[in-house]
Order: sequence, then structure tokens, then C-alpha cells
Amino acid sequence: MMLSRTASQLYWMSRYMERAENLARLLDVTHSLSLLPQSRGGSDITAALATTGALEACRARHPQLYAGDVMHFMTFDAANPASIVNCLKYARENAHAVRGKITGEMWESINASWLEARQMALEGRPLAGFFDWVKERSHLFRGTTYGTIQRNDAFSFVRLGTFMERADNTARLINVKSHLVGNEAEDSAADFYLWGALLRSLGAFEAYHELYRDTLSSRRVAELLILRPDVPRSLRACVDEIAELLPRIKGDTGHRAKRLAATLHAEMSYGQIDSILDDGLHTYLTQFLSQIHGLGDAIHGAYLEAA
Amino acid sequence: MKLTIDHETVYRYDDIVSHSTQYLRLTPANSGHQRIISWQLDLPGVASEGVDAFGNILHVLTLDTPHSEIRLKARGVVETSDGWAEQPETLPAPVFLRDSPLTEASDAIRTLAAAHADAIAANPQAGLTALMHAVADAMPYTTDMTHTGTTAAQALALGAGVCQDHSHVFIAACRSLGLPARYVSGYLLSDRDTHVASHAWAEVYAADSWLGFDISNRQQPDRHHLKLAVGLDYSDASPVRGVRRGGGSEALQTHARVSEADQ
Amino acid sequence: MHALTLPESGHYDEMLLDSGGIRPHYRDFARWLHSQPPETLARKRAEADLMFHRVGITFAVYGDDSGAERLIPFDTVPRIIPASDWQTLEKGMRQRVTALNAFLHDIYHEQHIVKAGLIPAEQVFSNSQYQPAMQGLDLPHRIYAHITGVDVIRHSDGNFYVLEDNLRVPSGVSYMLENRKMMMRLFPELFASHAVAPVQHYPTLLLNTLRHASAVDNPTVVVMTPGHHNSAYFEHAFLAQQMGVELVEGQDLFVKNHRVYMRTTAGNKQVDVIYRRIDDAFLDPLAFRGDSMLGVPGLLSVYRAGGVILANAIGTGVADDKSIYPYVPDMIRFYLSEEPLLQNVPTWMCRRPAELDHVLNNLHELVVKEVHGAGGYGMLIGPAASTAEIEDFRQRIIADPNNYIAQPTLCLSSCPTFVESGIAPRHIDLRPFVLSGRDITMVAGGLTRVALKEGSLVVNSSQGGGTKDTWILEDQS
Repeated sequence: MMLSRTASQLYWMSRYMERAENLARLLDVTHSLSLLPQSRGGSDITAALATTGALEACRARHPQLYAGDVMHFMTFDAANPASIVNCLKYARENAHAVRGKITGEMWESINASWLEARQMALEGRPLAGFFDWVKERSHLFRGTTYGTIQRNDAFSFVRLGTFMERADNTARLINVKSHLVGNEAEDSAADFYLWGALLRSLGAFEAYHELYRDTLSSRRVAELLILRPDVPRSLRACVDEIAELLPRIKGDTGHRAKRLAATLHAEMSYGQIDSILDDGLHTYLTQFLSQIHGLGDAIHGAYLEAA
Repeated sequence: MKLTIDHETVYRYDDIVSHSTQYLRLTPANSGHQRIISWQLDLPGVASEGVDAFGNILHVLTLDTPHSEIRLKARGVVETSDGWAEQPETLPAPVFLRDSPLTEASDAIRTLAAAHADAIAANPQAGLTALMHAVADAMPYTTDMTHTGTTAAQALALGAGVCQDHSHVFIAACRSLGLPARYVSGYLLSDRDTHVASHAWAEVYAADSWLGFDISNRQQPDRHHLKLAVGLDYSDASPVRGVRRGGGSEALQTHARVSEADQ
Repeated sequence: MHALTLPESGHYDEMLLDSGGIRPHYRDFARWLHSQPPETLARKRAEADLMFHRVGITFAVYGDDSGAERLIPFDTVPRIIPASDWQTLEKGMRQRVTALNAFLHDIYHEQHIVKAGLIPAEQVFSNSQYQPAMQGLDLPHRIYAHITGVDVIRHSDGNFYVLEDNLRVPSGVSYMLENRKMMMRLFPELFASHAVAPVQHYPTLLLNTLRHASAVDNPTVVVMTPGHHNSAYFEHAFLAQQMGVELVEGQDLFVKNHRVYMRTTAGNKQVDVIYRRIDDAFLDPLAFRGDSMLGVPGLLSVYRAGGVILANAIGTGVADDKSIYPYVPDMIRFYLSEEPLLQNVPTWMCRRPAELDHVLNNLHELVVKEVHGAGGYGMLIGPAASTAEIEDFRQRIIADPNNYIAQPTLCLSSCPTFVESGIAPRHIDLRPFVLSGRDITMVAGGLTRVALKEGSLVVNSSQGGGTKDTWILEDQS
């Protein structure tokens, strides 16, 4: 048993940390793509922005959407609530509020991340190094959590936050490219870079080659990122974790959340990429996102803002 | 005389309210002045009953399922008399010397009061009656100029107000003279104006007893007055005070009808 | 090796005799200190700073958006009190707290002390700290102040005087505990050579006191905080954690059917005792300040119905107000038929014309305080003030004499303290914590605050004060 507010703060602490990492991954890949001669430049940045939902806010500030401005907007801009620096700030604020419920090491890692990020924003740190740093800080936070916190409800809510956020982020990321998934024969050279970029942004490039030992095809990329349970950022891996975490939480207020998670888990366990592609990848992902959001609402209602 | 009271309060919200808690002072107590023959509350949930700091009957209503409207009904029959016989006081009178947010005296209030200090010292009843007329003269009864959060100082500066404002200014003036004074909320049977069935007046502690002054009507409260609650100011004695989660903006409708019961 | 310097004459120094010799209870420590290379001590102090930052014993600075937190400076020279002195203090504080609780019960019931003419009625009842909601309310065991912090100082005559009582939400106990932990970690050898009375069981005593406050078997206790922006949030979280109870905010609680519940991941759970670290005015927006969202709507109604215990009770502030403070010795005589064991500081009440005259004629040598002031604000220290400051204060007192009291400038005792130039005497006070439950219990110790500025008498952390570990030496016999 723990306070609903505490559970909520633990959950959002790790969601924001995960969001910072995913943003760093997305922007890192976008950044490297923009350095390639074949790059489509601005359009990629627009696509990256679209996944975060910050496109309109950014256009209002920087109507031209110049790459440099957009990058700054999404990384160091304190006025953009969705920037990486702000994700780290919100993660830290939530951690601060539950300092008594997390270990000293967890608090130190998350507090130091925010303090350093603020410093980097002031100094205008080069982006490539910054993205690597954000990923490292997220790894450190997860590792510290895993290595130091008691396996109780607090742990479950921290992990739940990580995987709910990751499922959402991965699905949005694939969804942006979903219109490109079609006949394998039509995969163009430019798309090769895009699929490569997508895999890299999700840290799944090596896994692809290990598993398929073949050139990149959109169908296999989609299968890998949606259905493979052994790829840590795939939708299936996230849903596996969520479905395992929910029943561990003590109390009997979360029936609906558990049922939704179990349903989603069953659907994915027996899902097949061909039928997903037949119905249309975009349709599938839109439905997945709506299921994840429904699950998020159920988690909120049952545990995080119980009346 | 026998009074029949019918009082309905309705809050409507733009959005869903997930949780709300109300303090209701909608039940009069028996006293030497009034005898409750029947009284009932019709509420949207179970309320717990108690007595508040000032001795008023208090109901606490918690609604913890989503709602977008709260409807509160109070009705009953009460027999009243002209007298305000002494009743046991729960609090020492000096408690009613302290300032409250709505009754802090301004220089204007102190000046108004000071002009009557000698007269009150000589004859409390007569002196306070003169002060009552002075307050009523300084701020003719006017609706829509003030609201429930208007302070005594603001209302006097506006030179206008309703019974709540009259009472606040009068109370602030009395306290500035070192006289304990309190706010009374209640009902009034009136043939002059049917809109002011919900009413407010003041009581002052002078010469070892509490004296009532209905400033808006320039009179001593009598059998037409039914007392609901007392406090330092409106916020202590208000019939309904609530806090909610969610709901957006609200619209409030109240109907209070007081009539003479059939003999 | 450190040179120990004597304070200016006229002060009592906790370690040094006027002759320059060392007081007996400090001899072992002084010998040890003498043997320590300055580099070692400097390194230990740096280590302490680092560790305090890591644990997060900091306090939030109001109005700083960047979320800055400051460390309250910790001094590594302990304040040592011999057992005999402590026994006097402890007895005196028990007596005082017993009388204060009796006073609170009395004024919220029959008001004998007012009727006996010892305290003027309006000074109690029109005091904003007197809570009408408490009138006639019966509390279990008649305990109002479950936790009291009594601020005492040692004057140049070597005696202890009570400076003020804190019966609302006294803070600082977490520093007492963390300072001890730090000293044991930095200098374990000192604890082997000194019989220092332990303090670490304070959270256990506190939990027992809170449990005893309720008539319920095995009550659910929580600590209630205004939130992590509060300057004492660290302490709230620390105590909750040490007691193993939930740390709640107002938004976690709600009332229903004369009970208080907290919202948890396993559903709603009833709460029986609230150790609230939040002022009366913010407890219930339906009864007190309507603009406060820190409290719990309806809490007062449940409290009055006996459905929950608040520690401390509502309305205890009327007993620690500076306008009531001068009457405490009378309370002890009135309720206990005993003579006060601890002295009050002589106090002139400006509301009395004769005393006002005395105060106005002697402003340059008095300390003048606002009756409702706290934290060292709103006060005049005559001997240290400029003529302009004195004149400014004179006008303020004349405009509203009821709002001021005055006291002689006390010579707070000094204690050797690390400063930039080495070790120098700095003025200190002491706040022990008194728990009123089944019995009155205390741990032997308290929070010693030190004014780090040379010559300063203001020990408040908000104004540059630091803290020291406080050692009560147990008799070796």
C-alpha cells in the first residue's frame, strides 16, 4: 500500500526520464541523418517534431523551422515544456517529492542529471555529446533503480512508468514512418537510411542484423519493433513488462487496468505481422496507441488519483 | 408566530466534479427565541452532523462520486417569539473582539464608530441604535454592487451594500470601540420585499448581554427573524461553504421562501 | 593544534573558565582537540559538508525558483552539558510543559486562571491564536502540546533561562539526530572516550507519543506536510521515514462520515492520528483560510467530533505567544503549586503603561520583540542598533504598544566554534524537545544553534545560524 500521490510521482518520475531518453534517441538520429548528403533535411526534423506533439508550439516560436532552432527548441529550451531539459526537470521535481520513497542513489542520479543538464544548457553543449549523455543518465537511473530499490509497490510503479512511456514513444515513432511500409520491392535507397535510422533510434540496429542477417526491409523492421519480445524497446517487450507488473501491485482496485493489460498482452503474443500490415500499419498503431492511453487512464483511475 | 421555511440551493458546474465537501449551516437550533417544530434537509448524499466552533448545527456533506450538480433543500416549521431570552453561550464574549478578514476596520469605519462612542457608553441600546442608523444611512441598500467576498471597508467606501455588508460594517465599528460583535445569518419573514428571505444581522455584547440589530431594516430582530448561525463574519456563518475538485466554473441559484404557517 | 580564545568578558563560555582553564566536562575533549592536526579537522569538516549534501539535509530557500537548497552550517565542536546541569533542565522543562498543557486545557474549558484574575481575559480570548473551535472540546489525556520545543539560553550568571516555548509545530529535531549521526561517523573515537547520552531513539519515542494520543487500538499515524516547497520538508520526510509512517499532504486526505481517509493505491485507508507540520490557519479551508489548498476540507469537523487526533492540537499557539510568555511562572504556581525550576527572562509588557515608560527610556539596552513575531524577525537589539533604528522602533512601539514586549539583552553563553580564522567563541542557545504522551519523555540532548557571526546573538538558521551536536555526559559513577 502506498499513497496514490506518491505512486503517481514515482510513475511520472520514470516516465519523464524515459521520455528524455527517447527524445534524445529520436533527435540524435535525426541529427545524424541531416548530415547525410541524401538527407531530406527539414522534413525529417518536422517528422521528429510531429512524434513529440510539439510541432505547432515550435512553429509558433520558429516559423521557418530551421534545423538549428528546432534542435535547440527540443533540447535546451526552458520555455518549451517538452524539451529534454524540461523532461529532466519534471523527473527531478517528482523525485524530490518522493525522496523518502526512493533510494539515496536514485535521488542523487536524477538530481545530478538535472543540475548538469541545466549547466549544459547554459554552456550550449554540442548536441551529439549531449544526446549520448542523456542516454547514459537514463541508463544510470534505470540501473540504479534496479540495483538499489526494494522490490515493492514503489518499484512496480517506477517500472510501470518506464514501460508505459516507452510503449507510447516507440509506437509514435514507428507511426510517423508507417506510410512508408509497403511492398518490399518498393523500398528505395533513401528508405534504407530511414529504416536504419529508426532502428538506431530504438537501439535495435544490431538486433535486426543478428536476427535476420539480411538487408533492411520495412516489413521485417515493423515485425522487429512491434512483435519481437526479445528487443527491449519493441511494443511487445513493453507490454510484456506492463502485464507482468500490474498483478504485482497490492490491493484490488486495479481490475480494469489489469484486464486491459492482459487483453493487450494476449493480442500481441498471438499477433502476426502479415495481418497487421494487411489492415494497415497506421491503423494498427493508432489503435495500439489508443489502447495504451486507455490503459494509462485505467492506471490513473485505479492507483494514481483514487478518490 | 409560526414560520414555514423553504430554502433551496443549487450549484451547477460546467465540468464534472470528482470530489466535493460542503459545510452546511442550514439547520436552526432551539432557543428561547425559536422552537423547531419540524425541520428536514434533503441532500444528495449522507451528511454527518455536528456542532461548529460557534455552537451552530453543522452538516458535513462529502460527495466522492462524479457529479455536475449539487442540490440542497432545507424546509421546516419554526415557532418564534419577539424575545431573545439569554441562552447558554459556548464562547467567552471577548472572542468576538478579534478582526476577521471581512470585518477589519478601516479609518472610515473607526471614524464612523467614534462619533457614537460616548452615546454608547452612556446608554448602549440607544447609542448602538444610533450607530445602526448611521451605518444604514452611509450605505443605502443596493443589490449587485457587492459580493460575498466584499469586505466591510470596501462596502463602506462604495457607500452601498446588502444586509451582509451592513452587518460587517456595523460589526467592525463595534469592535473598534472595544465591543464584542458577531454576525448572524438567518431568515426573515417580510411583506415588504419577498427577495430577502435569506437574511443577515448583527449582535453586540454590551452591558452583559447580546443585543440584536437588523441594520438593513433599522430594527431590533423580532418574531419575523429566525436565526440559523453566528460567527465572526459571513464566512463563519454562511449557510453553505464548499470545496471541490474539478468542475470548472459554477452557477449558483438559491430560493428561500419564508411564510407564515397556517394557524 | 588550536589556540582557544576567551570570549569578551561578561559572557559565560561553555568550555573555558574565566581564568583560561578548561571546565572539567570539556577536559577530555580539549585534550583530544589539541592533539588533532588542523588538516585532519579541516578534512573532516569538508567530509561532513559533502555527506550532508548527499543525504539531502538542506532547507529550501523561499522565493528561489531554481529550487536552490542551502545547507545549515554544521560545526564539529560539540556543545557539552554535564549531567547535573541536564537534570536541572529536564526537571524544569517537564514542569513547564505540564503547566502549559494544564493552561491550555483550562482556557478551553472552565478558564479558572482568568477567573482568578491572573491573566486578563481579553489577552487570552481576543488573541488570534485562541481557537474558538477548541472551546469545550475534550481531548484524550488532556494533552494539547504533544511535542514541545523549549528554547533555553545560559546567561552570564551560569543559569539557564527559558527564552520561549514552541507549542505549535516546533522544528529542528532532525538536525539533532543527523548531527549526532555525523559526529559518530567523523569522530568515533570521541564516543569511545565520552559517555554521551544517546538521542537516536527519538523517533521511537515520538511514535509512541503519537499512538498514545489516540484512544484507538493500533492507530494509523501519518505525518502531514505542506509539501516539498516548505523549508522544513526534509524534517517531515525524515521523521515519517524514521517512524515508518506515511508522509501525507492535504490533497491525500479527505473526510467522510466523521472520519479522515487517505487515498492509497490499495483504496481508502482511515487515518487516526495526524502529526501535522502545518499551521492551524491552513488545516481546513472550510473553517480557516479559504484560500489555502494545503489543508483538508472538513478536517476541523472530524476533529471536533473526535474522529481524528491532531498533534499538536489546534489552538496551542495561545500558550506560546510572547504576550502570554511572561505569565508562565504564574501558571506553574497556579496549576502545580510549585515554584518554577527554570527562570523566565524578565519581560516588560508594553501594554502596561508603567512598563512601556521603562522600555521607552531604556531602548538602547533592551531587546524589543513583536508579540507575534518569530524567526528573529521584527525585533530590535538595543545595544547593537543605531540611533536611527532605535528611534524608528520607538515610533512603532508608541503606535501599537500592545504588539511589543521587551527584555534585557541577554548574554547568551558562547562555545568554541570553527570559523575561518580558526576556533573562536560564538553565541549559542539550546532547544530540547519534550514529548507529552502517557508520560512526559525526552531524549537527553537537543538542538544547539550557534550564531556564526562574531558577536551576533541571532542563532536562527534563516539569519546565518548554524548547529552543533549536543552532548549530555552521563555520570560515570
